[in-house]
Amino acid sequence: MYVKVNHLGALTRAVRNVSRRKIRALLTIIALGFSMAIMISIPAGIVANQEAVQSLSENFSSTINTVSTLIECSNSSGRGMPSGAPSFRFGQEETFINEAVVDEICTIEGVKDVVPFLEKSSEETTMQAMDTPRGSFTISRPLYTITGVSLNSTFIAEYSILPTNIVVGRNLQEGDSGVVLMPSNLTDYYEKEVDDKIGIYGESFTIVGIYESASESFMRTREVYMNISDAQMITGNTGNVSRLDVYAEDVSYVNGIADVIKTAYSELSVTTSQDRLEMYQTALNNAESTLSQTQTVAFQEIVIAIAATSLIVLFTMLYTVRERTKEIGILKAIGFSNWNVMSQFMLEGILLSLMAGVVGVVIGIVGAPFISSLLLPNVNMFPTQGRSFSGRTVNFGTALSQSATAAPDLQTVLLVFGIAALLGALGSLYPAWRAARTSPMEALRYE
Amino acid sequence: MSELVLETEKLDKVYKLGGRQVRALSDVNIQVKKGDFISIMGPSGSGKTTLLNMLGCLDKPTYGKVILDGVNITKVPEKGLFKIRKYKVGFVFQTFNLMPYLNAIENVELPMEGTKKSGDEKRKRARELLKLVGLSEREEHRQHRLSAGEQQRVAIARALANNPAIILADEPTGNLDSKTGHEIIRLLGKLNIDQGTTIVVVTHDSLIASRAGRMLFLNDGKLLAKEKQGTHLLKRELTCPNCGREIQLDDTFCPRCGKKL
Repeated sequence: MYVKVNHLGALTRAVRNVSRRKIRALLTIIALGFSMAIMISIPAGIVANQEAVQSLSENFSSTINTVSTLIECSNSSGRGMPSGAPSFRFGQEETFINEAVVDEICTIEGVKDVVPFLEKSSEETTMQAMDTPRGSFTISRPLYTITGVSLNSTFIAEYSILPTNIVVGRNLQEGDSGVVLMPSNLTDYYEKEVDDKIGIYGESFTIVGIYESASESFMRTREVYMNISDAQMITGNTGNVSRLDVYAEDVSYVNGIADVIKTAYSELSVTTSQDRLEMYQTALNNAESTLSQTQTVAFQEIVIAIAATSLIVLFTMLYTVRERTKEIGILKAIGFSNWNVMSQFMLEGILLSLMAGVVGVVIGIVGAPFISSLLLPNVNMFPTQGRSFSGRTVNFGTALSQSATAAPDLQTVLLVFGIAALLGALGSLYPAWRAARTSPMEALRYE
Repeated sequence: MSELVLETEKLDKVYKLGGRQVRALSDVNIQVKKGDFISIMGPSGSGKTTLLNMLGCLDKPTYGKVILDGVNITKVPEKGLFKIRKYKVGFVFQTFNLMPYLNAIENVELPMEGTKKSGDEKRKRARELLKLVGLSEREEHRQHRLSAGEQQRVAIARALANNPAIILADEPTGNLDSKTGHEIIRLLGKLNIDQGTTIVVVTHDSLIASRAGRMLFLNDGKLLAKEKQGTHLLKRELTCPNCGREIQLDDTFCPRCGKKL
């Protein structure tokens, strides 16, 4: 590469010097580029982690604060899972609770209301791709879940048993039968609109309303709401429910009621707000502790990347200075000052680093998910986006990948170039200083 | 009396080599007047290059002083010497020492970096100098596309870039065949006459040395008392000794009778 210019300057000479040893420059730039890519990828991963934990923390507090008189009862198969344990489990039969229990629990002192739900997987299944840090695979899962709710106007008003984000049509109301409330992603899938008919378990239902579905992600349940008696009838579960939400008259009754239920119905898994709090707290603590560990690891890796970058520049420039000793002598003999010589070599170091910065940004954009998952710990934890959602797995590695896949903004790119220039200057400082203090006479003798 | 450009007083240089002292120069006194063309002759190891390095601020004497263009350069601190090398001295080396990644005109511009000249002025000056050394057509050529003689011409143009008080040439013909060597020494002679450039050449080649106005002799670091008048720079040299016709300084053969000059 020969850069033809009208006026010769230090920058032009630096470009020519870097380009006249192409293979060395290329190898150095690639090595530096990888270090830079690590510097770009890891902070993006950390930000993603912080956001994930922040989001968890917010969800925990809002969930805990809003339903403190709630005692959730489900079949024991759900034991150990946090709030809103789903009826659907891989490799497990869906199990149910006898509806008679509802009336019995209602008689316990301090119980205000018992809200039954019947959740049943759809007959139709879908293949879903699942990404994990160890690879991708496809699983078959129900297309949606039927959620039968007790359409009592008091329950609807007080306990938020139905979605509130209706986009078309109306919500379910007391007395509804033969109608369903569907998520928008499912109506899109079936190409249905409000007032259209849909067949579920061989029965025809009219869609009365469509609610905005949450973003699609792994194990997110698509829920079709209908009257609980319709659900019991079509799924052949008359007299059965799958979970109960027991509401106490006052927070002070919660533990007492839970104890009575646990004693009387040992097959039930009972979760109070206190239990939820503890589970959430544990999960949050784990997440925060992992975040802290991740930050420490990330910090160490960034320090190593910075050190590696500086050392690569240092050794490359030391070699260059040694190789060009005679040239330094000539430059000094024709009147170059120590500063002129020093700035010449520093400029070359900075130029190498800036070129590596470009490579680093490219590798960073393309390889960030891989680099992040390789260099940062992957952590699985239970999320808590409100009730009614299954034990969804948030994977730190996946979160990182998603965040880091986004193209770096101008600020990040400028920051990387700033760091590149700084490290280039730092790494070439000593070689350039050595070049500058070389005696011209000795340098001229060097062959 | 002509103005003194360069003067040395009792110049001594002692090196320490493996615990023993080697005296490279001993009590050297030289006076170079403005417009002089001096050759310093001596065998290998006689101290020629050491002396030239002292004169050009590349090395410091152990004793004595060097006064260049009125400045005692032995007193100038290391940090200030670059200005003297830039503005007062022009070096011409045996191995030309051009920057391989720069073309001819860029090599000539190189010493002008850091001066007050604008980019255009530098380019104009470099162009003039390349014309002066007869390389107008070779401006864009890099080292590998120039012959040895052409490379040395570029080096001479580079030495002249900042209009220095003196040109110091260290064996400028040492890497050239005799014909090209004579062309180069003729070019230096032409510059000396036409431009009034003060030139000091060190060489071990007596024929080359004899082309200067004054010949000094160095042996074992001492300047010998004998001094000879050179031949080449006298005005009468501009006529062919064979046919008596006028010739140009850079002619190798007489254009009239064809006799070798």
